[in-house]
Amino acid sequence: MLVMKDVYKIYRTDTVETHALRGLSLTVEEGEFLSVTGPSGSGKTTFLNIAGLLEELTSGTYELDGRDISSLNDRERSRVRNEKIGFIFQSFNLIPELNVFDNVDVPLRYRGFDRAERHRRITECLERVGLASRTKHFPAQLSGGQQQRVAIARALAGEPRFLLADEPTGNLDTNMADSVLDLLAEINASGTTIIMVTHELTLADRARRNIFVRDGELHDGPPELHFATAASA
Amino acid sequence: MDIGPIWRAMLRNKAGFILIALQIAVTLTILVNAFGIIQESTDKISTESGIDEANTFTLASVLFTDYEREQRKVLIDEDLDLIRNTPGVVNAVASNSFPLRQGGWSMSLALEPGNQTAESVNTAIYFVDEHGMETFDLGLVDGRNFLPEQVTWDDPDDNTWPAYAIITEELAKEIWPDETVSYVGKTVFISDDDPVNIVGVVDKMQAPWPNWDNVVERSMLVPQRRPSEFVRYIVRAEPGMRDQLMPEIEAALAASNKDRIIRDVRTMDHTRKLAYVGDAAMIKILGFVVLLLTLITALGIVGLTSFNVSRRTRQIGIRRALGATQPAIIRYFLIENSIVSAVGLVVGAALAIGLNIAMVEAFALEPLAWYVIPIGMLVLFIVGQFAVTGPARRASNISPAIATRSG
Repeated sequence: MLVMKDVYKIYRTDTVETHALRGLSLTVEEGEFLSVTGPSGSGKTTFLNIAGLLEELTSGTYELDGRDISSLNDRERSRVRNEKIGFIFQSFNLIPELNVFDNVDVPLRYRGFDRAERHRRITECLERVGLASRTKHFPAQLSGGQQQRVAIARALAGEPRFLLADEPTGNLDTNMADSVLDLLAEINASGTTIIMVTHELTLADRARRNIFVRDGELHDGPPELHFATAASA
Repeated sequence: MDIGPIWRAMLRNKAGFILIALQIAVTLTILVNAFGIIQESTDKISTESGIDEANTFTLASVLFTDYEREQRKVLIDEDLDLIRNTPGVVNAVASNSFPLRQGGWSMSLALEPGNQTAESVNTAIYFVDEHGMETFDLGLVDGRNFLPEQVTWDDPDDNTWPAYAIITEELAKEIWPDETVSYVGKTVFISDDDPVNIVGVVDKMQAPWPNWDNVVERSMLVPQRRPSEFVRYIVRAEPGMRDQLMPEIEAALAASNKDRIIRDVRTMDHTRKLAYVGDAAMIKILGFVVLLLTLITALGIVGLTSFNVSRRTRQIGIRRALGATQPAIIRYFLIENSIVSAVGLVVGAALAIGLNIAMVEAFALEPLAWYVIPIGMLVLFIVGQFAVTGPARRASNISPAIATRSG
């Protein structure tokens, strides 16, 4: 379970103070498929960074699986990221110098699994995303959809409790986007909690719960309602 | 270990790594061979001359008034009496030269009378009296010192060489390589036909020319005094008295006779520095070149790693997002550099051995000691790892949040 209470994130420079999140409180239950929508600059990505332990919050509390995250040091945060969270990024974020196999292997090596265990997990995950025959290919030799599937395999290989997806279909055409979303739905059905940030309402509809972020604040309910409100405001 | 994927990733961007590996290879090649030359020169510079250098000083008496031969003999005797009777002086001698002076006499010795042959042996000649042994603090290993009656003045009407000599052990071994018992009593011929009887053997006394390759340890003491206008005195002081005695004796000699000047008052330490000034300069220059080259290599590694950190900022952020700790990022760059260094050092070791073989043949240098190349490899490896640390630490500070930024 993911629980955020009264979370603030403030970016400060010498002259400017930007409030990216303003008292955000949220609970995500085990096995949920949650979409986070909102206009550009609303704080969606900041929320995802905080949830994924990529950034530290300014104030408030954040518990992941009952553990207070805000007090962890960098090493512990890295470990939690590695063990409990899988990431899917809009631009796939595969490492171009590594082939498919080695890309999926990256988080597993940081986890310290032995060679046989890593091999088993990589093979299994690549089969699951339909790319078992492309292990020796480099990212540049794959289509966008295939690259995103490799990224999903990489995210799944560590068997994370949470999958955080940042605009996972943003760089894909409709067909590929659909297949990726089908895959995410299948992953969610197998018990993995998914939090997906997107600005596309059609994608948000694929989630079982939607939240809307505007000006760093959270609003529950169907995204269409909030987008309409935001447009008329 | 992460060597596999790092190696495979490096193969996708070979150019920079190959250049650095080559730089490391060239640096190692030059470094170890320069070190070999430095070591050889250092050994040469630190070779003992065989005399009591720490307590010995030398000076020269130069007559500027015409003195008869007999007057010059008297003056030398008076000078030596004055010096030897000065409190703090162990002994003194007048000689044509002394070790490290870079000027003196050499002659060829042969086992048979007649013209010199290829088997003749070159040796330095020191003309001394019976005080020479104690003044130079030579270690007698066989035989005895000259007797006072064996010491003669040089006679311009008689070119015959003195009949006695004390030689160094090195010289004795060169002349009689098969002798196992004693060299004392043996005869050797000098100046073609003059027989010389060996009365003593000393363990060590170098020739005046430190760069006299292979024969610097061959010296012969001859019991003859030479009453010239230019006389060189060698003075051995009691421990701790040398610096006090130098000006004292210089002033006393100058005051005792106004027809000459006293000059070149030098410690043996100073003479040693002058003798090896070229070697010392070469050591400094080579040392500087080696240091500069190592620094350039280190900067090259810093440059390549910094470039790689900049180029892979996003990739590092992604790795951090996927769970890499800061030490894991630093370790990545250290491993990467270890691989580059290993390739460069192996190639460099092969080149270094090749260059050393060529240099040994071309310049008659000593081959490198077995440990020089491994030590050079270790030094360059450590330098490389230190060079990588700075950029690697910067890389480890890259925020994982960079992974979610578009681009």
